[in-house]
Amino acid sequence: MRALVRIASWLYALAVYGFIFLPVIVLVLFSLQATSFPIPPFTGPSLRWYGAVLSDTRLTSALVNSLLVAVLSSLAAVTLGFLSAWGFARFTLPGSALLRGLITLPLTVSYLIIGMGLLVLFNWAGVPKSLLAAGIGHVVINLPLCFAIIYSQMGDHQINIERAARDLGAPEWKVLLLITVPVMAPAIFAGFFLSMTFSWDEFVISFLLTRFDTTLPVEIWNLLRSGLNPKTNAIGSLVFAVSIVLVVLFELTLLRRKPA
Amino acid sequence: MSMNFTSVLKTHLRAATAAAALLLATGAQAADLNALIWCDHADPALLQPFEEANGVKVNVKEFEGTGAGLAIVEQSQPGDWDVMVIDSIDIPRGVEKGLFEPLPEDKLPLADLFPEVKMDGSTVVDGKRYGITEKFGYNTIGYNKTKVDPADMQSMAALTGDKYKGKIAIYDYYLPVIGMAALAIGKKTAELTEADLPAIKAELLKMKANAKLVGEVTASQTALATGEVDILVGGGEWVTAGLAKENPALDFSIPKEGAVLWSQSLAMFKDSKNKDMALKFIQYIMSPEGQARLATSSCYWGMPANAKAALTDDQKKILRFDEQPGFLARAQSYPAPTADLDKKMQDVWTEMLQAQ
Amino acid sequence: MSNATNSGRALPRAGFALPWALVTPALGWTLLFFVLPFLAMGLSSLTAHDGGGFTLANYSQFFTDPSYWRAMVNSLEVTAIVTVISVLLAYPFAWILAEQVPERWQRLALMLAVLPFWTSYVVRSYSWLLVLAQNGVVNRALTSLGLVAEPLQLANTRLATVTGFVHFFVMLLTLTIFANLKQLSPSYRKAAADLGAGPIRTFLHVVLPLTLPGIMVGAFLTFVLCIGDYITPQILGGNNELLMPQLVMMQIGRRGDFPLASALSIILMAVVTVAYLACARWLKIERA
Repeated sequence: MRALVRIASWLYALAVYGFIFLPVIVLVLFSLQATSFPIPPFTGPSLRWYGAVLSDTRLTSALVNSLLVAVLSSLAAVTLGFLSAWGFARFTLPGSALLRGLITLPLTVSYLIIGMGLLVLFNWAGVPKSLLAAGIGHVVINLPLCFAIIYSQMGDHQINIERAARDLGAPEWKVLLLITVPVMAPAIFAGFFLSMTFSWDEFVISFLLTRFDTTLPVEIWNLLRSGLNPKTNAIGSLVFAVSIVLVVLFELTLLRRKPA
Repeated sequence: MSMNFTSVLKTHLRAATAAAALLLATGAQAADLNALIWCDHADPALLQPFEEANGVKVNVKEFEGTGAGLAIVEQSQPGDWDVMVIDSIDIPRGVEKGLFEPLPEDKLPLADLFPEVKMDGSTVVDGKRYGITEKFGYNTIGYNKTKVDPADMQSMAALTGDKYKGKIAIYDYYLPVIGMAALAIGKKTAELTEADLPAIKAELLKMKANAKLVGEVTASQTALATGEVDILVGGGEWVTAGLAKENPALDFSIPKEGAVLWSQSLAMFKDSKNKDMALKFIQYIMSPEGQARLATSSCYWGMPANAKAALTDDQKKILRFDEQPGFLARAQSYPAPTADLDKKMQDVWTEMLQAQ
Repeated sequence: MSNATNSGRALPRAGFALPWALVTPALGWTLLFFVLPFLAMGLSSLTAHDGGGFTLANYSQFFTDPSYWRAMVNSLEVTAIVTVISVLLAYPFAWILAEQVPERWQRLALMLAVLPFWTSYVVRSYSWLLVLAQNGVVNRALTSLGLVAEPLQLANTRLATVTGFVHFFVMLLTLTIFANLKQLSPSYRKAAADLGAGPIRTFLHVVLPLTLPGIMVGAFLTFVLCIGDYITPQILGGNNELLMPQLVMMQIGRRGDFPLASALSIILMAVVTVAYLACARWLKIERA
């Protein structure tokens, strides 16, 4: 019985892994296609399309834009999220539950709607479309996430450490910088990292709110609309490779520091 | 809720976001040229030679259809845009809104244009030229000649008959395909009214019943190139020419009912802060070299409006350059509905998409 | 929760200004860039496209035109199918990762399971198009194995849209359900076993109820993200039917009709709110 469960488990897990990896394998394989169609039969391997991607300034500058927006908007989101989480966890505020609900509200709304709302507002207010406008939208979607992660991790344990520091006469800003931030570092880092991931991959808000300079997903969309092309595979594979490196680095730095 | 309340709120919104606006209003630098374009103009092979020769950066924004393009302009500040690519027949719409600057005819190669695509009826308003046709082609029947009988492609009846059921894709842009449906039922595209819509809708629904998909440029190209479908309604050289190298079996026909002529023009904005550069850009695009690059752009190919375009013989053959007089004689103009009819046409299109 | 109150009172030096200074930036941001845009959108949805005054026409268009509300029906159907399939696929998978895979390999196994997350979202849908195409790998495999005589129509269908969605949400749900299973203290299961419950009864009466909140959170996330997504149906669906986000984007992309797009967005948001209320009791964010 136990062995049967084990075998069935393995088969099931393999099938799901297969499903999960199928599009990735096809993506990477046909990025090495020598001819102009990323469909069978495979004619490669060739690095022709990687060359095409790297010499396409629209794509490379979009990549830089995406990184910039992701880092800056995540920094803003995690800062605002951390401060408010600390405020709500440590102090009694009137209407606290309601206000916390307000901050997390954007989590329950589709990106499309957030993007539409900002588009209409910015239109009325005469704010031009730009990367900054898209960045504002990314903070809107990531702030509640950072808040929720950090707030949920602020336990009594941390409170006690902080209290001890205060009892020893540390001023509030010192408590914050020297005690709270280091103690909360994993949650802060997780919030930042998740925000980066979401911002990096976000399409519809950037699509609606940017003009000339845009983010990579929007530029890939433009590329996609202009025809079937292994170049799309190549840029997709590159993004994948870069992301994997980042994830591995993240895992190594975060895990190595954890006591066993 | 009255308009008054709306405007009060708008004022408040303006005030509230004024600071943000200042922050965000980085705008484009003076040395840049801002172009509102279709995807064929985004090809670096087309833009880079101009940018290098003139030391200018061309910022491009793609849009889909005149309505959306004009909406983008309306939401921008005056002076944000320098040049625009627009359907030739829609130039009067922009002129009506006071957007465009007359072009100096003596500085443009008008004499070299195919006479049929100069389209002075639209590009010239009140004796002033506001646009110059740069590229054209046909929305007609694109097909794979090894899979279908080319003789069948001489009539639009093939699109609604049973023979190619499930082997058809429809290009997802409402104007030209509505134009084709009109031709199929014997209407003239230039004279469409609301009264024609029910019959057009019926024709579209018959096509939809035969179709496997309704796709944008990529999806329909992919479907045709990979053998997913054999016929593309609304296709033409803009689909088949770019793929000719990979799939030489792709071809297009102008059926006996006719085809829809698409034609794109360049126009300059009245409020442009960079009119000299804008004119240089238009001159570059209209030059034999610019025309060749535009005609063979990576996004889609099309006939250059300038008959002197520096195309190779191979490229000319793929574009069927020499057959143009015959094609042009049988093509009809792109539908140019009023705003009201346009909305109704889009609703018909939405109904067609949703039909099961 | 009571501890927060206690510690608040235990801070004699904390004045009134500090707590508000901490929470105001986040609240202000949310008000300015989330609530205000929403109000602006609401207002916009009540105006006519051609600059006219107040009108309900944008809403009546949705409720009277079958091709418009059909988009909502399609969206709800697709979202429901995707949510159910994703949960059913992900739960056993997460369970295997948490229970059957040896502890030291679990992290790696989980990392592998969510690795494709990090391909670009737009590209992921596009690669499904390649996989499912007429002569894509799936059809090639099926025909060469002799399972089907003719290539199946997979791409450009609702099935393709659902596949693309399920792919993404299986990964997401595996993460949330895995986290949930790992949080279960082994002592619960031991207690159940001590009380004489077999593995199946333990699962049904102990593990499943305890992981239900995690499932609901994941299912709700799936619902929200799925019903608001434009890319997947646009790339994979072949426009054989329209979903709500496609209808919204069509209004902007083709005509710049913001009022109608706003009205449709608000209707979409109303539906999401109903779903939220249905799951609300599982979605509370509590401190550890």
